[in-house]
Amino acid sequence: MVARAIRGQATTKKATDSGWSDLLAAAQGGDGEAYRAFLEAILPFARAIARRHLRSEEQVEDAVQDSLLTLHRVRHTYEPGRPVEPWLAAIVRRRAIDLARRSGRIGARELFDEAAFETFADPQANRQEAAEAADSVAHMLEELTPKQREALELVKLKEMSLAEASAVSGQSVGSLKVNVHRAIQRLRRGLSRDAGG
Amino acid sequence: MTDRRTEALGAALAERARPVTPLPPPLRRAMLTLVPLGAAGAVLVLIAGDVPGMMRRYSGREALMAVEMGAMAATALLAVIGAFALSVPGGSRRWLIAPMPLFVVWIGASGLGCWRDFGRLGPGGWESGHSPNCLLFILAASLPIGGVMLWRLSRARPIDPLPVALLGGLGAAALAALLLQFFHPFGLTAIDLGVHFAAVALVVALVAFLRRQTLAPA
Repeated sequence: MVARAIRGQATTKKATDSGWSDLLAAAQGGDGEAYRAFLEAILPFARAIARRHLRSEEQVEDAVQDSLLTLHRVRHTYEPGRPVEPWLAAIVRRRAIDLARRSGRIGARELFDEAAFETFADPQANRQEAAEAADSVAHMLEELTPKQREALELVKLKEMSLAEASAVSGQSVGSLKVNVHRAIQRLRRGLSRDAGG
Repeated sequence: MTDRRTEALGAALAERARPVTPLPPPLRRAMLTLVPLGAAGAVLVLIAGDVPGMMRRYSGREALMAVEMGAMAATALLAVIGAFALSVPGGSRRWLIAPMPLFVVWIGASGLGCWRDFGRLGPGGWESGHSPNCLLFILAASLPIGGVMLWRLSRARPIDPLPVALLGGLGAAALAALLLQFFHPFGLTAIDLGVHFAAVALVVALVAFLRRQTLAPA
């Protein structure tokens, strides 16, 4: 298979790009093993590019995951035989810049409150209004956008990792985080509205 | 530092490695878009165009006509090739400025023609000649041209759709303005010229505004 042959090659930069080129071309043909080897091999390069634009390692990892999803969607735009690095670097750079801008916007407008997830420690204390609350929550869930509802369901209810949820839903890791955060905020606003009313 | 979730995502994507057909090179895709559009435009001119009227309008200044229409065609050509080059990851951002010198030549040549007409027409050179028709023509012609262009560009699912939309919009508007030349047997007033460029700007802005809906960015 292409993947095994490439692994045996020398690791100079030229050989690396040529190896990546062969793997990606094989992946375009539907070779899953070559695709897996390619996606593994590019990770250090992708992380290095993302680090040029992002400060925290968590954001770097988010950008790399977003880049893998984007790469998967646009893998038909790679022209076999051409260098892979400029093509790949452009994808990672774009996603890192998008993430940095999004974080900047969210940081400027929204606060994250860890304490918002707390409830009464004693389950008996919550029992009396449980049925009423269930109706209320169901109603509030209907007010979420489809993407917010999907993100909340996959990440919080099904407890999937962001990467898994991203692969299932097609939403980027960054979008999932934003949608979960906004969904919780919206639910919280609904709860305080109910409590007030 | 590595993250096992990233490796897991790679593995999950590899499991979905369906075969895909690589896109042809951008230049080839641009030509495959421009040639049918050019052929359709030529047929339209042959059927309904007013070539003798255009030649009368440029009578005695054929060189200006060649420069103006050449600059329009070259602006459209470079803008369309640039849009296709930027629609795939790694396309040089220099394509954004590539059509600009020719766009300036186009404006200059049109302005010169207008100035000469102004000398001939006197104060009438400031009146609105056929501006509303020109505006409608450029907008109406840009619609199918821009539609075909966006559809072809969307095949690449551009990761940064704004520059692609700006160049695609400029290409479509320049082609529409070039087509207008063959249906425009009267001299331009300053207002007409302004309306021509306002129409071009409107098409570029509209395409840029609708980029997310039309270009299917990844």
